Amino acid sequence: MNLAHRQLPGADKRVQLMATCLCDAFYADVARATVEVLEHLGCQVEFPEGQTCCGQPAFNGGDWPASRRVVRHTVKTFAGDLPVIVPSGSCAAMMFHGALLEFEKEPDLPEVQQLAHRTWELADFIVNALGVKTWPGKFDATIALHRACHTRGTKTCDSAVALLTSIPGIKLVTVGEVEQCCGFGGTFSVSFPNVSASMGELKLEHIRAAKPDLLVSPDMSCMMHLGGLAEKEGHPIKIQHVAQVLRDALKNAGLL
Amino acid sequence: MNSSREQILSRVNAALAPLAQRAALPDWDREMVILRQAQGLTDAWPLFAERMKAVNGTPLTSVAELVALLEKNNWKHGYCDPALWPSLAAAFPAGFTVETTYDRTRLDDYSFGITAAAGAIAETGTLVISDRGTSSRLGALAPWVHIVVLRRNQIYHDIPAAIAALPQDPNVIWITGPSKTADVEGILIEGVHGPGKQIALLVD
Amino acid sequence: MATQLIDQFAKNLAADTQAAVYDGSKKGHEKRTKLLFDTYADPNRLRELAGEIKQHVIENLDTFLPAVEAKLQSNGVKVHWASSAEDACAAVLGIMQARGDKKIVKSKTMVSEEIELEHYLDKHGIETLETDLGEFIVQIDHDHPSHIVKPIIHKNRREIAKSFEREGLGAYNDDPETITRRARQFLRHKYLAADVALTGANFVSVESGRMVIVTNEGNSRFCLAGTKCHIALIGIEKLVPHDRDLGLLLNLLGRSATAQQLTVYTEFISGPKSAGQPDGPEEMHVVFVDNGRTDVLASECKEILRCIRCGACLNVCPVYRQASGHAYRSVYPGPVGAVLSPLLAGKKFPELADLPKASSLCGACNEVCPVNIPIPDLLLRLREKGKREGAKLAAAGTPPMGAWSLLASQPAAWKTALFGGKIINYLPTKWLPIPPLRAWEAKRTLPEWKGGEFRSWFRNRKVGAVAPNRPDRKPESKEGR
Ligand code: SF4
Repeated sequence: MNLAHRQLPGADKRVQLMATCLCDAFYADVARATVEVLEHLGCQVEFPEGQTCCGQPAFNGGDWPASRRVVRHTVKTFAGDLPVIVPSGSCAAMMFHGALLEFEKEPDLPEVQQLAHRTWELADFIVNALGVKTWPGKFDATIALHRACHTRGTKTCDSAVALLTSIPGIKLVTVGEVEQCCGFGGTFSVSFPNVSASMGELKLEHIRAAKPDLLVSPDMSCMMHLGGLAEKEGHPIKIQHVAQVLRDALKNAGLL
Repeated sequence: MNSSREQILSRVNAALAPLAQRAALPDWDREMVILRQAQGLTDAWPLFAERMKAVNGTPLTSVAELVALLEKNNWKHGYCDPALWPSLAAAFPAGFTVETTYDRTRLDDYSFGITAAAGAIAETGTLVISDRGTSSRLGALAPWVHIVVLRRNQIYHDIPAAIAALPQDPNVIWITGPSKTADVEGILIEGVHGPGKQIALLVD
Repeated sequence: MATQLIDQFAKNLAADTQAAVYDGSKKGHEKRTKLLFDTYADPNRLRELAGEIKQHVIENLDTFLPAVEAKLQSNGVKVHWASSAEDACAAVLGIMQARGDKKIVKSKTMVSEEIELEHYLDKHGIETLETDLGEFIVQIDHDHPSHIVKPIIHKNRREIAKSFEREGLGAYNDDPETITRRARQFLRHKYLAADVALTGANFVSVESGRMVIVTNEGNSRFCLAGTKCHIALIGIEKLVPHDRDLGLLLNLLGRSATAQQLTVYTEFISGPKSAGQPDGPEEMHVVFVDNGRTDVLASECKEILRCIRCGACLNVCPVYRQASGHAYRSVYPGPVGAVLSPLLAGKKFPELADLPKASSLCGACNEVCPVNIPIPDLLLRLREKGKREGAKLAAAGTPPMGAWSLLASQPAAWKTALFGGKIINYLPTKWLPIPPLRAWEAKRTLPEWKGGEFRSWFRNRKVGAVAPNRPDRKPESKEGR
């Protein structure tokens, strides 16, 4: 994983939010929590209205010209030099790794690199850019952290663990076979429905065995897949995004 | 066949030509691959013995122990390297049949084979044998029990040292425990084609 | 909507086969991880180093290949070259015919599977016998290996016992120890009756011409003790610069493949047997095989040539665990196969173009690979190739992205779609002409559509009102709320 995303925020802590298409369509509250968390930390959050998607579906599907069209749009939309914060490990990785791969031979590679360099996943940003290593507030729950695959090789999960475990009231339980994927995989979830669902079942088994009150994920796509599977089989599980837990911890203690 | 050679090399050249630069060979510190326990040892035998047991091998320090083990299991017919036999023979009582020429037509007659070590590796419990130092490849392989006669100063501490000291010999073998397989349902079975019992006999 | 072939294969796989593959690979992975991390403080650094060494090798094959050839020749080895599978088979046959040999005992070599050697030699009256226990069972069953390191991971003991009974190797007995002893007894006499030992090689050192072969069972050693001629089929990428590099690679190979510090038999072979040695080959041949490797070298996926065939990526791969090796319809299954097989297929790429799709791109393979191959990146490159070349198998089940990309690059249209998407909250999806949505809902529910809600919240909120406790404000402000 290319960890090019190291641009630190300026003194005014202005940042741009890349909310991702899944927040735009389904997970409005995750984007909202992200804003609230960042503002709690003193950031000034801008939301470029023209944003759509990171281009990942087409990139993973092999249609790179289509994906590049979307990435070019994204590069234009997020012009400037502010850090870009993404509440999703996979969309962040798309910007600082995937896009570089598909632009390798394109003349506008430097512009894509420029954006890659300032794109951060949320938890990684909080800990490694803002230097915030503990989180205040209160959150009474036993939680399990889902190690979303696209955070491999990044500091996202370590950062999320540091923040979550520092919150008074949170107990983190370990889940078996953490290295195994939940089975989402973008278009994989519909072109390999059987394997995808079996992978999800195994993941759910491990999660249930750990008996958390809540599953916490740094990525909405895994939430959507695991949550959807569990609900379909009639045993829904409670899932929240890291940003939501951070926000709710503040709220619970009257800090927000 | 030559045409294949030229074809392959020219395709390799064509494939590599567009590379602006070639990946460099990294330098690395041999200490990186060495197990911590193996560093700074004076006598390597205890570590060797411990590691050999960990891979189900049997380290022995006297010929008497060896003879007792063979007797107990009724392994009475064996092969021994002719160069080693004179120094061992006295310890073998009547009732043993030990041949110093391995007759491949009677493969199943031998229950043990005694051959000489070309070295050993402490950190892995590995025995080293070589073509020039081993009297018979088959004698060291086909019997159920293989005994390698080893001296203390033949033991290398670690893999990098053993590699640096690979003898000028067309065939060097590192043996780490008895022959084994887990092909059937992942269940470990020892003694597949080679020995089911691998013994190191320290003679000094 | 059509699903991918490998998904269909997984769905139709017999439950006990699936269980065998799943358990076998899972156990393999767990043992590997434990050993690697128990021994080394930073195994990842070792993997990176090994990857860099192998990358150096493949990017310098132009000098290394002639150099190793010269070294081997000076060691008394005859060197042959085979650019295609046919050439490689013909080379082996040629050597045997020149000697008047008829019988081969074979130690596991993936290259021989790749070139379908046994079939070829059989047509020319030459008998080949597999000696690795797993490969032997594959051979008597006329089956195919389903794992690089554990060829019969898909079989259970009852099937094997039946095969042994059928082949006259004793009455039905499914005890693994009995099975192993029977194979031992049967095979040991075959080694001595054979003319030629056929092996692969795990590594060849350019510096010394030493070739390294590792086995646990000791079968390659027996092949090389019983016969008079040794033929090694070696892919041109198997080189390492120096003997010392073996110190790193052997450590990683044993741990990654079978969770051992070292494989039981690690043989360093640099030529025919020494003069005083009664047993073993007097003649030794190396056949360097290309068979598509130079195409891989010229491709954007050359990193896959670093592979040392340890099988760790198969063991950890969730898709391999569900689908089994045979789902990949090629010699190399799992993540490594999903990259290597379509590339080695050359012109037949379209027939295997779906393999790179068999991944959620989770990256577990890269994380375990002892030579740090960026397998997900390579899968993505091959997906792009499949799409660009219009390979039908690759397309199955993948929603077309053209319209989506237009939508996602026009903000006004995007916002309209966000609003319009609400319809899925009210209409059953079976009424909607959107196949991927139906495929999704066959297995999972969809969350409620909240298109545009965040945007309107963000637009309408009073900045500051939602963040009264910003660290730059004084704590007193809390009381004032
Ligand atoms: S790709 Fe890597 S992990 Fe997979 S078999 Fe090859 S070396 Fe092993």
